[in-house]
Order: sequence, then structure tokens, then C-alpha cells
Amino acid sequence: MPLDPSVAPLGARNFRDAGGLPAAAWRADQTEQTLVPTHCCFCGVQCGMYLRVDGHGKVFGVEPRNHDINRMRLCPKGINAYQQVNHPDRLTAPLLRRDRNQPFREVSWEEALDHTVEQINRIQQEHGRDAFGMLGGASLFSEKTYLVGKFARVALKTRHVDYNGRLCMVSAAGANKLAFGIDRAANPFADILQTDCLLIAGANVGECFPVLTQYVWGARDRGATLIVVDPRETAVARTADIHVALKSGTDSAFFNAVLHVIVEEGLTDEAFLAANTTGWAEVKAAVKAYPPSRAAEICGIPAEQVVEVARAFGRAERAMGWHARGIEHHTQGVENCLTVINLCTATGNLGRPGAGYGTLTGQGNGQGGREHGQKSDLLPGGRSINDPAHRRQIAAIWGIDESELPPAGTSMMEMVWQMQRQEIRGLIGVCNNPFVSLPNYAVVKDGYDKLEFHAQFDFFLSETAANAHVVFPVTVWAEDEGVMANAEARVVKHNKAQEPPEGVRTDTWVMCEIARRLGVGSKFAFEGSRDVFDELRRASAGTVIDYYGITYDRLEQTGGLAWPCPSLEHPGTPRLFEDGRSYHPDGKIHLQVVEWHPPADPYSDEYPMTLTTGRTVAHFLSGNQTRRLGGLVEQTPRPWVEVHPSHGFRNGEPVRVVTRRGSEVLPALVTEAIRPDHVFVPYHWPYPVAANELTIDALDPRSKIPEYKVCAVRIERAGAIDPVPAPPVPPGREAYPEAQVSRTDPLPPTAPQGRGTAERG
Amino acid sequence: MLGRTIFIDPGRCIGCQACVSACRECDSHRGKSMIHLDYPDEGHTVASLPTVCMHCEDPVAPCAEVCPADAILITADGVVQEADPTRCIGCANCVNACPFGVPKIDLDAKLQMKCNLCYDRTSYGLAPMCATVCPTGALFYGTVEELQAERPGVDVSTMFAFGATTVSTGVAMVVPSDRRTPVPGGMLNLIEVNGRPTPGNGAEA
Amino acid sequence: MLRPPVGRASVVAAAVSVLLVVAIVLGSRGLRDFDSALVPYAVASVFLAFGVVYRYMVWVSAPAARRLFREGWRSALSWENLKRSPTALPKMIATYLGFQKFLGARSHARWAAHQLIFWGCLLAAAITFPLTWGWFTFTSSSAAGPGYEMRLWGLKLFGFDSGSFLGWALYHGLDLAAVMVIGGVGYFLWRRVRDRAATTGQRFGYDFVPLLALLTISVTGLLLTFSEMFLHGGGYEFLAILHMASVVLTLVYLPFGKFFHIVQRPAAVGMQLFKYTARRKGSDAEELQACRRCGQPIDTVAAVDNLRATMRDLRLGFDEWAEYCPRCKRVLRGSAYLATVKRGFK
Repeated sequence: MPLDPSVAPLGARNFRDAGGLPAAAWRADQTEQTLVPTHCCFCGVQCGMYLRVDGHGKVFGVEPRNHDINRMRLCPKGINAYQQVNHPDRLTAPLLRRDRNQPFREVSWEEALDHTVEQINRIQQEHGRDAFGMLGGASLFSEKTYLVGKFARVALKTRHVDYNGRLCMVSAAGANKLAFGIDRAANPFADILQTDCLLIAGANVGECFPVLTQYVWGARDRGATLIVVDPRETAVARTADIHVALKSGTDSAFFNAVLHVIVEEGLTDEAFLAANTTGWAEVKAAVKAYPPSRAAEICGIPAEQVVEVARAFGRAERAMGWHARGIEHHTQGVENCLTVINLCTATGNLGRPGAGYGTLTGQGNGQGGREHGQKSDLLPGGRSINDPAHRRQIAAIWGIDESELPPAGTSMMEMVWQMQRQEIRGLIGVCNNPFVSLPNYAVVKDGYDKLEFHAQFDFFLSETAANAHVVFPVTVWAEDEGVMANAEARVVKHNKAQEPPEGVRTDTWVMCEIARRLGVGSKFAFEGSRDVFDELRRASAGTVIDYYGITYDRLEQTGGLAWPCPSLEHPGTPRLFEDGRSYHPDGKIHLQVVEWHPPADPYSDEYPMTLTTGRTVAHFLSGNQTRRLGGLVEQTPRPWVEVHPSHGFRNGEPVRVVTRRGSEVLPALVTEAIRPDHVFVPYHWPYPVAANELTIDALDPRSKIPEYKVCAVRIERAGAIDPVPAPPVPPGREAYPEAQVSRTDPLPPTAPQGRGTAERG
Repeated sequence: MLGRTIFIDPGRCIGCQACVSACRECDSHRGKSMIHLDYPDEGHTVASLPTVCMHCEDPVAPCAEVCPADAILITADGVVQEADPTRCIGCANCVNACPFGVPKIDLDAKLQMKCNLCYDRTSYGLAPMCATVCPTGALFYGTVEELQAERPGVDVSTMFAFGATTVSTGVAMVVPSDRRTPVPGGMLNLIEVNGRPTPGNGAEA
Repeated sequence: MLRPPVGRASVVAAAVSVLLVVAIVLGSRGLRDFDSALVPYAVASVFLAFGVVYRYMVWVSAPAARRLFREGWRSALSWENLKRSPTALPKMIATYLGFQKFLGARSHARWAAHQLIFWGCLLAAAITFPLTWGWFTFTSSSAAGPGYEMRLWGLKLFGFDSGSFLGWALYHGLDLAAVMVIGGVGYFLWRRVRDRAATTGQRFGYDFVPLLALLTISVTGLLLTFSEMFLHGGGYEFLAILHMASVVLTLVYLPFGKFFHIVQRPAAVGMQLFKYTARRKGSDAEELQACRRCGQPIDTVAAVDNLRATMRDLRLGFDEWAEYCPRCKRVLRGSAYLATVKRGFK
């Protein structure tokens, strides 16, 4: 018996749930402190925040900022974001190895850059320019996304460039372009407060965009009806006025049926339709085939619910539809979005305060990242790479001949297939982690393993970077300045809060330096983000995505401007379609007919259930950032499989989740908050507990988005759960142990949002 | 009459634990989170409940009353402070006496710690960290009038029933406007909820 | 709530003060060894005794302290406990009172600073109190000296040479104490200005005055030595009065402010011994109170019973809740809110 045998109740007796950093490391000295205004690095809401910088110029904390996007509110990811900046896991020297069987060694920038350029030249000489590819990311500042596109086309001269927004935003983008000729949300968040009926389709707002919840609740305080369409009873669905718990992959059937009822009951706005749309007759005819009874059968919901939703939405004076990955991550992702657009348009809910349509971008720069040319088929300003006029304009701005500009490339998943076929032999990846984020991990691993040369830019060693030949240590968001566009298409400015650590460079510097060594330095003479932004502004002038009137100074004065903003006097465009005109040449909204079809992965006796994947509130995307932050690991240390109690599993019991592509064993989180025919696995963790070992690499034919949200699955009893690996670090180092304390917890969290604060120790 | 205080509305809470992380950023106890976030309907719904110190007014601060070392000070503004580190002997009386389950204890340091309404912030007119960042307004800091201006038709209660005893508090919970009885502090002898036995009464462990 | 027993506390405090006076008279061999220059110090120590005992009596008559006081002493004086674990009490005294291990868990720097102040004050008190009471005397063994004898209550303890290290150390003991205290106090003052954990809710009277008092005493004490050694006594009288005033005021203040923790701290040992001996008695299953809902241990059964009795003394009518762990209390309240107040948004 120890001398101090004190015992105190669970959850009261220590501060492990305080985040894994030892309390002694959390100083609160009243030294000189500067508050640097900036925004969060994570999701598409882009909450304002201040970073607290101490007298030595180091970021050491966060302070809420009364920016009008978030009004001081922050989610747990945002609050912990600053801990990345001076994190012990940061990469501070380039890593290099000539072959994957060797361990990485730290090398000088010279050696890493020279080796990279040598490999680019070798592969392109031996196998052609298109044998080298480039993959960007939508968490980069817009300046850097612009640079990724320009670097690929001008320095690498390859057609193969794409970005991880392909896994995220492209279905909404495709639908927006088809219907409206402009790719962005139609209304600002603030319009939500004025709506009478809010439809949230496939968006777990409470977990993926927590700060947006204040707008949803604000609308309800003012009397709005809330409709949530989601197979799971999420935190916003729990209290919603109507929660439609449909089967995953049946959204278009449901929305067609809702429109069917709206037409039947005469709730359409025929005047608006006649004045502003094309294709209404065809859509009207098509939805005739979707009576509520059919939707009930396809979607597995009561038919009355369809009528209830139609009446609530159709009768509302002002109604809005917002959607996210839940309806977009499908082989008919674009079409699902189109059915929501059809619904809003048919009821005349567009272009008014409280009436409109929006899409919730997942990544911080999910909107901005797709605008300026890192997408395989787009050039800056949302120009098409297939349009000769657009090609000429950009070639002129870049100072190259139009014939030198490569043609359109392929999408991110297709590029992985090309790697498997060795059509792509070399790759530079910037700001992405496909080993966790792409579907069907076995295929992704195989594709990347076949690469002869792979370089990756990152500030932590991601699972993907750990498989590369060269890793360039680059800055975190707080060490550089730049802009991002949030889900409202509001461009906001991120400010530099501290100097990067010794040995770390900006992505801009690295790309420009490689370009210089490739002999095109004159086209990449950028000192920093400011120079790139000036070129971006000019490159976007006159297009739909017009940034010309947006300057750093204006952004700092206003707290954000929504594009299009064509001149320095222009106030920006927070709300679209106020005059009912779309951005198509004819000014009409082009309604599109949608027919529902079943998901790509067929159900069978062997795989009878539906697997759906998604996020949890404490983690972000591939988790390379959040799986290293103690407070977030503490909140949600590991993935789980969410199953309905009717399957007879006990909470925490090991469950093997099997699809045609793989299987893994996860602890069961048994809850009534999921459909009995569905299971859910969050995707932030890597192999062997990666949800994306299970998902299918089937793509939407138009947007090429993978079908993450539905595949056929079975669950069975298993022996032991698969362990969660520690985040990768360079050889000789250890992932910061204080932050990893709870990673080995074998139990699922108490609820999908995480472990309650008093659950363990 | 209630001044500026925290109003808790579990009906708006999304269980995101932003408050838990934010609490840790408060300078008066940096690195240590005092707020509790529980999922009381585990296995059934994702409902969640944030718990800050309720700053009991009548009986005034049971935690302070049961403290053998007179370590818990109640300031004139009604804030029940965390234990004075020079006095606290780490006996845990407060931890187990608090009917709301609020205080925490560091057994090695022989020190109780609990929510002090972010005294370093509130004494300068700032809202406590948790209520500042709460994305949903489940934790709201202000006056009743400010609350009702934002949320028409809500009322608040500062009365909590623990068995036959009613505890009145400085921190309030949001209740529907027609409710006049104290908020239940919990039903100890509940053996069944919705036809399911409660733990300790035949439920599976 | 019970009214503090002012009358009884005053009587006991007065009695202890009288006892101290008697002890001073006897110890100084009928005031023969008493140094009349130190009268103010001696008087202050009598006031200190009164104040401490009075405050102590008031403190331990409050329900929570009284019950713990009783349980602590019962554990300490139990013959059975002594047989079972004879080293427990001395070890706890060394850990909690002497080396203050728990402070290390709060912060290593605070522990170090507090240790400096603690041992410095202890050393100073050990030297000065017997001196002012006339209990210690130094007599020269021969007329020309360097030899001295140290006597307690007139009885010779040992002799030493004034030039020796021991002689130097005895002569400069107070200076050493002052240096230690200044070091510790300096850190704490720095912290009181810089560390937001310390500055939150700090009060001048409670948090700063004790530090400033210790600082004044130590600095004036050192200056006395300085004056004597280097200034040939320049300013000595003024410094002596300043030093005396600061000491007297500190001693009189001691029972009423932050310094009272010195008197209270042994309760930590009592509390610890009470919990330790309860757990020594039987198995965890027998001696630990399990939460009535989740079954997780809350505290020792004896401690929970003691708390419930305290709560009943205080007429806190919800002592039954003490048998539930804090998490279950919250979950029960959360479920009740969902079930009877409102389930969702409205």
C-alpha cells in the first residue's frame, strides 16, 4: 500500500483530458504579448481568430476574435490549431532517400532540390513530359494553389495536375457550373438567420462545421423549420423538426419525390421559373415518376415524410438548401446536388435574403482552391483549359506560347490508376495525404509504390510523405500570409504570426526554386505571397471569378470580400442571383433532369449492409495535423464502427468490417442514432484502421468524385481490434508522446463527438 | 436578480467539446480543463450536457461549507472561487459533496480545481472562455434580458431539486417558458428509463 | 450553521498565553537570562500564541474541520494503526510537512521557492524564539574568550570557539535564514506580478502583505549585520526598530491571513492518515465506496461517511448524492433534464 493511497472518482482526479501537454509547459506569463489577427487553418467556415505571440516572436496561444463570420466562436480544432506551430513533430530539414528500402536521412536544401530536379528531368526525358504529375491541395492559400497550377503547366509542362478538392468539392462545383454557370454558394451564411425553412442535406453541421451551428440555431430561434437529411441522427438532426434518415445513396430519388409533391400541390413559383429558367418542363416531367411511395421504397423512409418535407419547404416564404459531402460523395454526386438546385429554383428560393442555396466546403480553401487553376481542366479565374480563347489569355499572362500550354489532365483518382499503369512515373505532392484520404487504400498504395520518384511538401511527415523519396519541410499557415475563400466565397486574409523555424521554407519558395532549376526562373520570380496574389488578381480579371478588386489592404480593412469583385471600388458580391439572372450567357438557370440510380457497389447476401464514412468533430481530413494535437487525440483517440443495437454487439466489442476491398477490426459504438442497415466509420486514421481501406474507388462520371459515402459491407464478430499507429515521424524521432497518451485506448468514444471528459482516468 | 452569468442550454449543445479545449486556454489555469462534457443519453442519442460550476447561492456553496480548511472563497460578486492552494489539503470533500459533480482534484498536488467563471476574464468584462467560443450558444454569457432578446420565448431556472432539497444557483439553465418547478438534479431511485433498466438495476455492464 | 464558540476559544487561548508567559519566566531562570531589549518580541510571541490558539479553536469547531480533526487524531493515536504501520505517520510528516512533495506536483519552481522560505523561517524561528524568551544564553567560558558556551535553560549544551565554523554559523544563522527567505520570496513576488494563474483574483492583503512582511524582516535583519560589520553600527538603532516593528506586526498578523496555513497544514497529514488507515484495514472492495450507479470507486467508505455526516451537520439535505460519483451525478441530471424539462431545441 503506497503512503498516498488516495482515491478520487473517475474523471475528477486528474487532468489527462486537459490535452496531454504537461501543465508545466503551459505558461501564462504576463510578458509582452501580441495578438495577430488571422483565420483558422481548418474548415471552410474560416473562423477569425487571434494568435497569441510572445515576446520571443513565438505563437503560444489563441484568443477568440470577433470576426463577423464566427463572432468569437471556435470549434475544438480551431482552438487547438495553434499547437501545430511550434509542435515537436515539425519537419525542419529536407528528407531524402534514393530508394524506398532505405531510411530517410536529413539533407541540405541544395541536395534535396538538385536530386528532385535531376529526377524530374530524367523521367520527363525518358518517358515524356506527362509522365511527371503534380497533386495540390485545398488547404493551401489561394496564391499557392495558383502557383501549383502554373508550376505544373509552365515549369513541369505536364498535363497531369490535380488536387485533393477532387475528393471534396467537385460535385457541388459541377452542379453549380451546369445550373448557374458560376461555381460558388449563392448566399452568405448570414442569410441563414433570415430563412423560414432550412434544409440541410448530407451535412453533419454540428461536427464538420460546428461554428456554423450558430446560424442554424439562430434561424430556429427566429422560428425557422429545420429539415435534416442524413442516415445518422447527428447532433443537428437530433433536435431537427424533420429528420429524414434515408439510406445513403438515395438522395436524388428523395429530392425528386419532394419536387414531385411540390409540383402536385402547386407550391412551385411558376413566374420565377418562366422568367429565369430553362429545362423546367423536362424536370417536371421527370419527377412525375417519383411519387412519395417510390421514394419511400428506395430511401427506406415513411412516404409521409416526403410530403412533410415538401410542404415545409414549399410553403415557406423564404427557404434555403445547404448541402455537403453527404450528397456529393456519390457516383451521382453532381446529380444529387442538381436535385437540390432544382428544388430551390422550382420554389423561387434564390437570390433573396433568407432564400437561396449553398454548399459547405470542407477544406479551408475548398472554395478558393478550385478557382485558380490547380484543377486538371481549369486555368486561373475558373477558365477552361479546353477553351482556345481562355488558353490564349492565360498563355499571354504567363508569357508562354499557347501551344506550350498542356491540355487537360485527369482527376486525382485517375492519376493513381495511371501510376499503377506506370503512365505517371514521377510525382510532386503538395498539401495532401492520399494514403488516408483516397478510397481503396490498396490501389492507392500500389500506385504510389510504383512511382520512380515521389516528392512531398508537408510540415508534419504524413503517411503519404513517409512513403516518398523526398520530403520538403514547409511552413504552417501561421508562418506565411495569403488568402483563402470560405464556403460563402468570401476571400479572407491570413496573416503571418511568426517566422518559420530554422530549415523550413514556404511552399512558394520551394516551387519557385525548383522552377528556377528547371530553367523557367523568370516566370517564377516571386518574393512571396503578395507578388503571387498580384499576378492572380490580374489573371482572374474579367472572368466570372474576378479577384481584380480584391487587395491585401482591402481585405485587412474589411475582414473579407466575396468575389466577383471586378474593381477596387466594388463592394464584392455576397449574394448571387439577386436579379434572377445566372452567369450563363443566356442569363438563365439551366435546370437538369436527374434520374436516380443505385450506388456503384452492389449489395449481395455476402455484403448486405451499407457502409458510410465521414468526419468527427475533433479531427480534420486525413488527420496528419489533428492526430498530433493532444487535446484532440484525447477527445477522440481512435476510429470506431457505429452500429445499431439490433445487430447484437455490445459497446466496445471488436467488430470486423468487411467490404469487397478490405477488412478491419474496430470497436463497436453501439447506438440507436444510426439506421439499422448502415454502419459508419470515420476516416481520419491511416492503415490499418483506415476507413478508406474499405471504400470503393468508383467515380462520378462528371466530377470524378469517389463514392465515399456508400458501399456494400458486412460486419462480423472478431477477436482483437486493430491498433491505431502513431503518426509518422522522421527516423530517430518519436511522435510527441504527451500528445499520444490516449491513442491506445481500445474503446470507442462515448458518442461520435468524442469521449466524455470523465470517461477514463 | 441574476446579473451577468452563464446560461446553459443542453438542447442546443452539439457535444463538440470546444468548451473543453477553450477552458484549457484560460490563463488562470492554462493547460487544465475544468469544464465537464457528458453524453447522458449514451447509446441512444448524441445528446450532450456541458457542466460548469453552478456557483450555488442557497445553500451558499456546499463545497465551501464542507471544506475543512476554509480553502474555498466566495467573492462578493457571488463567484465561488477554486481552492486557495495554500490552504487546500486535497481531502476531496468538495468533490463528493457537490450535487452537480463539478470540482476536480489533483491528488498528487493535493489541490482541488474547479471552474471559477474564468475570473481572470470576467473581472475585466470579458466572457468566460467556454461561453466565448461555444459554437451553439449552449453556453451563453450575459444577462437574462440579453438572452431573451436573442432567443424569444425562453426562460431560465436557477432552482434545482435534489430530493427534497432545492439548491438555488448563480448560473442558470434554460427551460421552456411555461416551466415553474425546479429543474430536477437527477432521480436517484430511477430503476427504469423508457422500459430499460438503469445500470445497477439489472442493466448490462 | 453552528455559531463559532468565541467564549471557549478565548478562554483556551488566554490559558495558553499564560502558560507561555510562565514558560518564559521559568525558562529564563526567573528572568535572569531574559534580555530586556527583546521585550517587544516576547510580548508579540505571547500575542501570537493567543491569536493562533484562538483561531485554531474557532477553526476546528466548524463541522467539517471538527470531524476531520477528530478522525485525524483518532487515526494518529490509534494503537492498532501504530502497530500495523509504525512508520506511516513520521513518513507522512516528513513528506507533507517537511519536504512538501505535493508542491512539486504543482510546480517545481514553486516547490523550490517554498522550501527556501520554509526552512529559512524554521531556522530563524528556532534561533530567535528561544533567544527572546531567554531560554538560550551564550556565556564566555573565559574572560578573554574566544571560547563560548551555549546554554539552554541555564544548562550547558556545548562549548565552541567563536572563530570556528560552528561559531560563525551560529552567529550568522539568521543571516543565512534571511538569504533563503529573500530568495524564495523574490520568486513568489515575481510570480505574483507575472503569472496569470497567480494574479487571477489575488488580493493585496492576503497575497502580497505576507511576502512583503517576510521581505522586510529579512532585509532589515541583513542590514543590521551589514551595519554592524561594515558601518560600525551606523543606522543600527533605526534598523533595529524597523526590524522589530516588522517582526512584531508579522507575528500579530500571522493567525489572520495567509500565514494561518502554517497552522492548518498538519490537517493534511491527519486527512491522509485517516484515508490511509481506512484502506489498510481491508480490501478495496470493503473499504472503498463504490458509486451506486456505475460502481467506480469514489473514496474510502470512512471518508464518504464522514462527509455525509458533515453534510448532515450543515443541514445540506442531499448527502445521499455523495454515494454517486460526479460523472453519474451529471449524467443523472442530464437524463432528468432530457426526460422532464426538454428533449430537444424547444
